[in-house]
Amino acid sequence: MKNAAYKILGLLLVLYSLVYGMLTEVPVLPIIEESIRNLFYHVSMWFAMVAMMAASFWNAIRFLSKGNLSMDQRSVSQAEMGMVFSFLGLFTGMVWANFTWGTWWTNDPKLNGTAITILIYLAYFVLRNSVDDERKKARISAVYNIFAFIMMIVFIGILPRMTDSLHPGNGGNPGFNSYDLDNRLRMVFYPAVIGWILIGTWIASLRFRIRKIQD
Amino acid sequence: MYHQEVRNSNVLISLGLYLLGVAYLIYLLSGSTPADSTWNTLLWVTVFFGTVQLASRSFEFESKNFFYYFQTLVSPQTTIVAKLLFNAIYMLLLSGATWVIFSLFFGNPVYNTGLFAVGLGLGALGMSAVLTTTNGIAARTQGNPTLSAILAIPLLFPVLKMTSTLNLQAIVGVSWEDSAALLGSLAALNVGIGLLAYLLFPYLWQD
Repeated sequence: MKNAAYKILGLLLVLYSLVYGMLTEVPVLPIIEESIRNLFYHVSMWFAMVAMMAASFWNAIRFLSKGNLSMDQRSVSQAEMGMVFSFLGLFTGMVWANFTWGTWWTNDPKLNGTAITILIYLAYFVLRNSVDDERKKARISAVYNIFAFIMMIVFIGILPRMTDSLHPGNGGNPGFNSYDLDNRLRMVFYPAVIGWILIGTWIASLRFRIRKIQD
Repeated sequence: MYHQEVRNSNVLISLGLYLLGVAYLIYLLSGSTPADSTWNTLLWVTVFFGTVQLASRSFEFESKNFFYYFQTLVSPQTTIVAKLLFNAIYMLLLSGATWVIFSLFFGNPVYNTGLFAVGLGLGALGMSAVLTTTNGIAARTQGNPTLSAILAIPLLFPVLKMTSTLNLQAIVGVSWEDSAALLGSLAALNVGIGLLAYLLFPYLWQD
């Protein structure tokens, strides 16, 4: 294995968060109760997704300035991995929402942000499939990628702050702040985020190498 | 640039007809004056489909040869600025006309008219900037005619969500001071999109 250290670290961190996330003691809050553990499995997906999309965005910029096709291959591999994380985050969130809010889907700014992020990146893949020439495909999709990433940040990062959300820690819900500072949760949450980002980087790099061989 | 746009001016007439048709369709089906929030939603849905329709033609050239001739004639920066300006004017006209037609059929529930007009204008500008960019992208792929809509629709949601919130505030009569934050962020978003379009367009245009 090339660069084995970060891959093993990622595996260990994810394994630790999966097991210890179930075992650790958590603060008991009304409504959320034990489902607070979803912080480790659901919220970490969004962090990993944004990290993957940011890497994809960065490689799109690098492609436009350098013109090296392998940058584009990296960019699309990372965007694919970001999509995987967004679907995982969506499903873990929907299961949780059904227990906590009593519905699978509701008109919440964060849910809208997710839906739109998925639509934007699906459009990115449709765009890639509709151009044949490799170089042209890379250039056009890099332009769209840059545009899409910035709009996504506006939608998931700025808009939800301007309206109330049903999510814990927003609006009139049991505050995140009360357990945001809880070290027992942090001890699992941060390793989970780092672990998933490392795993995502690994899978994206495998996808990138497959692409390179196919060329 | 100017002549190329003006030659396509029958676009405006067909668009006017679209607006009348849709507004009358809503009138026919609902048969009554909708509630304020529904009025606002219907107005934005009408404007939305009108602008997507309108902008999808913005990079249409008579022929491949004309396109190459055009490329040698004008720099990409000039092209994108001209297209942004033209589309902005079209969208402003379109959204204004939609407001007039809706007022005619369903009455005008707007309380703070100035704020509503500014919100409508900012929304039109933001939509035109997003649509100009995505249509530039779609035009370069050649083929898939639905692509420009697929690319544009999710990117338009942030602008649409903010403007429709702003306009609903104007309808219920929120003051200028209270919607200043939303106005400011919408204006900043528009400037950002325009700048992004200007910076990225040269990469699309070269062959």
